[in-house]
Amino acid sequence: MNILIWIIQIVFIPIMSPLCVGIIRKIKAKLQNRKGASIFQPYNDLWKLFNKDEVISKDASWVFRYAPFVIFSVTIFVGMSVPIFMSFVNNTFTSDILVIIYMLALGTFFLALSGLDTGGAFGGFGSSREMTMSALAEGGFIFSLLTISFIAGTTNLLAISNVGILQHGHLLLSSILAFISFFIILLAENTRYPFDNPSTHLELTMIHEAMILEYSGKRLALIEWASSNKLLIFISLGSSLFFPWGIAGALSLSALLFGLFIFCLKVFIFCLAIAVLESSIAKLRFFKLPDLLLIAFILNVIAIILIF
Amino acid sequence: MNKEIIKNYIPENTKVDFVGNIALVKVEAVNILEIANDLYNHKNLPLKLVTATDERFENGCFKIWYIFGIPKENIFIALFIELKNIEEFPSIVSVVFEAGNYERKIKTFFGLTPAGAFDTRPIILHENWPIDVFPLRKDFNLQTKVKQSTGTYEFQRVDGEGIYEIPVGPIHAGIIEPGHFRFSVAGEEIMLLEARLGFVHKSIEKIFESEISIDEKIKLSEKISGDSSFSYSAAFCRSIENLAGIEVSKRAEYLRAIYSELERLTNHFGDVGAMMLDTGFNFGGANGSRLREIVMQLNERLTGSRFLRGVNVVGGVTKDIDLNEKQILLNNLEKIFKDFEEVIEVVESKISLLNRLRGTGAITHTIAKDFGVLGVPARAVGIENDTRLDFPYSVYQELDFSKAEVQTTGDVYARFYVRIKEIRTSFNLIEKALINLPEGKINSSLDKIVLKKNSVVITLVEGWRGEIAYFITTDLNGNISRVYPRDPSFLNWSAVGCAGPGNVVPDFPLINKSFNLSYTGNDL
Repeated sequence: MNILIWIIQIVFIPIMSPLCVGIIRKIKAKLQNRKGASIFQPYNDLWKLFNKDEVISKDASWVFRYAPFVIFSVTIFVGMSVPIFMSFVNNTFTSDILVIIYMLALGTFFLALSGLDTGGAFGGFGSSREMTMSALAEGGFIFSLLTISFIAGTTNLLAISNVGILQHGHLLLSSILAFISFFIILLAENTRYPFDNPSTHLELTMIHEAMILEYSGKRLALIEWASSNKLLIFISLGSSLFFPWGIAGALSLSALLFGLFIFCLKVFIFCLAIAVLESSIAKLRFFKLPDLLLIAFILNVIAIILIF
Repeated sequence: MNKEIIKNYIPENTKVDFVGNIALVKVEAVNILEIANDLYNHKNLPLKLVTATDERFENGCFKIWYIFGIPKENIFIALFIELKNIEEFPSIVSVVFEAGNYERKIKTFFGLTPAGAFDTRPIILHENWPIDVFPLRKDFNLQTKVKQSTGTYEFQRVDGEGIYEIPVGPIHAGIIEPGHFRFSVAGEEIMLLEARLGFVHKSIEKIFESEISIDEKIKLSEKISGDSSFSYSAAFCRSIENLAGIEVSKRAEYLRAIYSELERLTNHFGDVGAMMLDTGFNFGGANGSRLREIVMQLNERLTGSRFLRGVNVVGGVTKDIDLNEKQILLNNLEKIFKDFEEVIEVVESKISLLNRLRGTGAITHTIAKDFGVLGVPARAVGIENDTRLDFPYSVYQELDFSKAEVQTTGDVYARFYVRIKEIRTSFNLIEKALINLPEGKINSSLDKIVLKKNSVVITLVEGWRGEIAYFITTDLNGNISRVYPRDPSFLNWSAVGCAGPGNVVPDFPLINKSFNLSYTGNDL
């Protein structure tokens, strides 16, 4: 039984993440008076890319060739370590906030390296922008998870979701501040609005897309898949750490099914929030982005001060 | 009467020949600098275009033409110098800066050197074209296979620590026309921006000189810049009507005005939407293309062509608007207008959008003046130039239209807002024109078009981008011997280069979109 649970925990994120991207796109299309593609289109896209030949620049080094595997593996590793819809699995090795944050940073690091590797102009500025942003986002990310660790009294993610931070009524304000800043970081780390436009065709405005411009075929599929995994990981973190209602605390079929249902509902609400945001605001100017990330950081500092 | 007006501009005892509303003034090459300086800088006449003609077979000389316009009077002063046995002419770029690119073009296509110009590099033709072959000379056959040449183009360089060059294009990630941009950036800030165009050169000027029929030439004029098909063909037809002395009925003039305003609506909707899309404001982007599509479907309903092609003929138009269609069009326009105003209401309340538009990609009044910027970008810095008012044509004077729509800040927001205001004006103009639409024939059936011999005609129309100018000459047999269509983009591209520096690279697509210039109209 335990093995089955672990298999579910490992494959859940990669299997469901393209659907999550598809749902966001569908809601966005609806909000813009368009029909939009099917919510399963991202699966088709991945299938298409996996069956395509790829072109690799002759100047590319091993970094370019292996980076997609590193980036993808990182998201699988992190995906299995975060609480999704069950919190009873006991994982004291990898479910720690610092492990998660720096595993994700490792992925970002390799992504930026691969952008630089081929020497193309777009990859260069894509990586430079990504590094600028993630350096600033990292502080906010650590501190928002740290805030809830303080509240819950543990740095183990599964334990945090078990405790349920909102039970500490007097720390409600801290939790809210931490969540706002976490949401900003979610948008920044997943290069979504107002930081980046994931569906742009303008090569000069891209961040994430500029770094992966040289990739094609299978490796591109892996990177695309990894970035949708990352999005679902962040949504899972947000929903299970800040709103742990309904999460399966014990091993029973009814608890699991209920947990899954509630989880899907929470993911949908996150998708809706992201889609509404992306349809109703313009992208921020690049030089205003650090301000927003600093706000996320400062909110956390206030949240931590409020705890003590 | 024309003579009286001209007197104020041209020194007395100068010989002036009138061809229609054009005052032909022959100038000695040594005097051109002084006269051009006087007209441009002291009398403040706008320079309409500078070009050359190869008349070696008829008159044994090349001619360089300098066309100045007198606003409100609808009179042109065409200065020309004759170059006999000499392939050099004095450059006027030291006093008329905007003439620089015209002179480079003459140098590239006619092989005549502007003496004293600071920049005589080839323009439009690239290094694969041999520098000693001049395609617009009459002894160059269009069918000639030219030997490939090689060379490297030297981009301007910025030296310094941390300066990074970004080459972009000519093929882009989106489906747009080809053009190469070279950015020199420090971090994200643009230090220098150089645009390299000419990738869609297709020798339109040369094809106009070939022996194809007038009908074919009208079709050709529609292809100069596909999104301005109607303006280009209307201007070409007007030139031919002028040369052949054909009267156009009032009804046809009204219809031309209606169609050209519909073309403006189509493109302004598209631009307003695309600018919002480039800031990432998807709601505005989706609505812009939706409104554009509705107008295009109206176009198709009225004329059978979404781009209003095949409508203009010499002597009028081919498609009428009957009473029934008139009512349908009026009803539809009212609906579209309401729709548009609702979208604009949302737009004006979006701080994040306005924040992106304001202050981005500003050009100054001086830069716009010096480069001779035309159309929307010029009106966005507060220059009141609108050919519909300055050189009245068609029926605009009868439609209660008296003021060009201007903004003052010269940034992306100003260009955005000039378009919004012009959309409102166009609605009014179409409505008025439809209501006042007189009865009559829409074209005159012509057996044969006979053009005036040895003549010149200059036609200006306000396309949706800005002023489109045609310079057409005929030879001794009454055949068209030279056609130079000047797109506003030819002048405005220089201003885009100036709008870049000081902005960050991710804002450039937005700046470029706010100008939305034609590559094909520039490259011809």
